[in-house]
Amino acid sequence: MFYSPGCAACEDRQAELRAAARDTVSGVEWCDVNVLENMDAAVALGVITLPSIVIDGEVAFTSLPTKAQLCKELIERRGSRK
Amino acid sequence: MITIGKLAGLTSVSNDTLRYYEQEGLISPAGKSPAGYRLYDRDSARRIHFIKHAQQCGFTLAEIRDLLELRSRDKACCGDVRARAIEKKLQIESKIRAMKAMSKALDQLIAECAKEEQPVQECTIIAALERANGSKKVQ
Repeated sequence: MFYSPGCAACEDRQAELRAAARDTVSGVEWCDVNVLENMDAAVALGVITLPSIVIDGEVAFTSLPTKAQLCKELIERRGSRK
Repeated sequence: MITIGKLAGLTSVSNDTLRYYEQEGLISPAGKSPAGYRLYDRDSARRIHFIKHAQQCGFTLAEIRDLLELRSRDKACCGDVRARAIEKKLQIESKIRAMKAMSKALDQLIAECAKEEQPVQECTIIAALERANGSKKVQ
């Protein structure tokens, strides 16, 4: 998840979404990425709004999803990888 | 209180642009003269300078309107403005990246076209651009 430091909405929801992702897909690797320290990576991945969630190298959400939206996306991607 | 013409002179912005800003909700007259002409206060000049600086930083008028609203909102904090500045930087960096890629592609085409005296029908740059267009997926 790419975020800008000081974003209250991001901080509030980060832990909740991280936990939801881990509960949904075992072994999922979740990274909280400060965009100011990783501007090149963000640009390379096509992140232009914050917060954004990138899954498997693709921008999946350009704003904070609900837990249900995130879980659905993770399940669909896991399914398509099998 | 000043007229639109004086405001235009003060800010080096044309009358038409000021009317457009007004239409877009970026500025508004503080009152009207007895003859019905719009009158502006000093805050309008400050807002126009703000708009011009923000445009130079790449903000669109819609984004500037948002920033101006933030400026006047009691509960807004510096972090709100900073977040928008970070997003704008991301967009600019993304454009720079795309422009660099385009520049690189042009370098390649220029290098491949070594025969300047060749007729334009045999121009490798035009041929390459036509190929690129032809290979585009039709959806």
